[in-house]
Amino acid sequence: MSDTSKPVQKYQLGGLMPAEGQLHRLSALMTLLLLILGFSLASPAFFSVNNALTVLLQTSVIGLLGIGMTMVIITGGIDLSVGSVLALSGVVSGLAVKAGVPVIPGMALGILTGTACGAFNGFVITRMKITPFVATLGMMLIARGIALQLTGAAPVSGLGDAFGVLGNGALFRVTEMMPNGFPRVIFPGIPYPAILLLVMAGFGAYVLHRRQIGRHIYATGSNEEAARLSGVRVDWTKLYAYTMSGALAGLAGNVLMSRLVTAQPSEGVMAELDAIAAAVIGGASLNGGVGTISGTMIGAFIIGILRNGLNMAGVSAFIQQIVIGFVVIGAVWIDQIRNRR
Amino acid sequence: MTKQPLVEMVDIEKHFGGVRAVDHVSLDLAPGEVVGLLGHNGAGKSCLMRILSGAMVPNSGEIRIEGKTVHMSEPNDARAHGIETIYQTLALADHLDAPKNLFLGRELKTRFGNLDDKRMHEEARKVLARLNPNFKNLRDPVSSLSGGQRQVIAIARAIYFDTKILIMDEPTAALGPSETAMVADLIRQLRAEGIGIFLVSHDMHDVFDLCDRVVVMNKGRLVGAHGIDEVSKDDVLSLIVKGELPADWSARNLEAV
Repeated sequence: MSDTSKPVQKYQLGGLMPAEGQLHRLSALMTLLLLILGFSLASPAFFSVNNALTVLLQTSVIGLLGIGMTMVIITGGIDLSVGSVLALSGVVSGLAVKAGVPVIPGMALGILTGTACGAFNGFVITRMKITPFVATLGMMLIARGIALQLTGAAPVSGLGDAFGVLGNGALFRVTEMMPNGFPRVIFPGIPYPAILLLVMAGFGAYVLHRRQIGRHIYATGSNEEAARLSGVRVDWTKLYAYTMSGALAGLAGNVLMSRLVTAQPSEGVMAELDAIAAAVIGGASLNGGVGTISGTMIGAFIIGILRNGLNMAGVSAFIQQIVIGFVVIGAVWIDQIRNRR
Repeated sequence: MTKQPLVEMVDIEKHFGGVRAVDHVSLDLAPGEVVGLLGHNGAGKSCLMRILSGAMVPNSGEIRIEGKTVHMSEPNDARAHGIETIYQTLALADHLDAPKNLFLGRELKTRFGNLDDKRMHEEARKVLARLNPNFKNLRDPVSSLSGGQRQVIAIARAIYFDTKILIMDEPTAALGPSETAMVADLIRQLRAEGIGIFLVSHDMHDVFDLCDRVVVMNKGRLVGAHGIDEVSKDDVLSLIVKGELPADWSARNLEAV
């Protein structure tokens, strides 16, 4: 008798209690809201439309990198090269535009470069059987080296207004001409990078949850041998994840360089660590098999808002690093305690 | 009556460097037949079964399925020929739930190529209920399920699809008595449906209970293949340990006459 009632009871409980992954995201979301509340009280300028848009803009790069990083981390790997690939892609786009290629094909070339770097990572990891840490560490040096070599370590500037549209433009920007001939911004609009982030996050979540390749990404990270025996093409799945990570790093590079309207070969140093931190704060496990795009987005915004809020409060960049370091350790620690229970 | 064998493995060889894991082994399996495969750890039986399930490619030899020579380089190829395997490790992805594991590698999709989780969940519920009516927590990751439930998922995955040949590697090692009985019933039922089964086992009792034939491997070589009524448990033990039958052996079923 008790046998029949037990599962029913459990079912009801299951309906009331959020699942484990949701719980983590919920706590991350609470942290995010608390941060916003705290910084709003500390600095009145923090809670404003303009600052919100600034945060969106700043977070879009970490967010884009985080989407690809999440896929890679779910397969049980890691991609240390995204910061350098971001720089190389931006530099390639910048040089192409400088050389007279129109902006859209020029940027496509940059994104393609990022994709190729990611595919190379995947190739080294799956064919040469080199661990992801070492393979992407190598790519981190290679991509940065190429970016510096191509530019002679000097920023590429004078790229024209069109190059800056992706990073600085906004949808629904409302301006009116003042009688003195200067425009006045009524609503600054939704920045293109934020829209791009939203679209790519939606795409990433769709791939992970609704497509076969996404299911295989989870299976590969959860139990690689089991996935292989079940007929999952594990190598192809990993190649896909690293290629996506490279492509998104390329996209992020273009967004960033476009925002600066300058191709900076030294941009994005340590950006990979921000992306990894975002994924981990969002609940991804470096052991593989666990992680969500929505979690990573929350993680990216926690980092973005922390940076922005601490800046507004006049905290030095050095202290910011210390704080973010502790946040990452704290997030993983809380997660471990929860799993141990 | 000479039926076309379901599987013929002819002169299979697999070596790793100088070590011969499988040394010129030939083996066949008829429809509706249960063949027990026995041997020490490291005798080469798992290796031979991995070759048949496509997880390992032999160095030489030929595999024929229903008389046709096939080449299998990955598990998908074997599955395409109706060969399903229940691995000793169960080969489940711990973070995924039961339906996701059941359809792993063979996901059902909607018209637009999206995963059809609703249909997979429904189908999984049906096939799992057939094996274990108490299986309700389909949405839990399999890491949180009991050993018996995990085994049920692995079995369900092997019989859900159009299976002709089933390889069971120690299917009852992790199970309690009632679940073992369930697996035994299932094996009899599948045999009646004309499915050929290779049963890799250490449990002499299971083997004599369920198998039509026993095949014994020792140090990579096939040292004996007998109808179950030709040999006693001691004979089989002798084959496993020494690699040969007792000196005074003669077929038991003829002896009795």
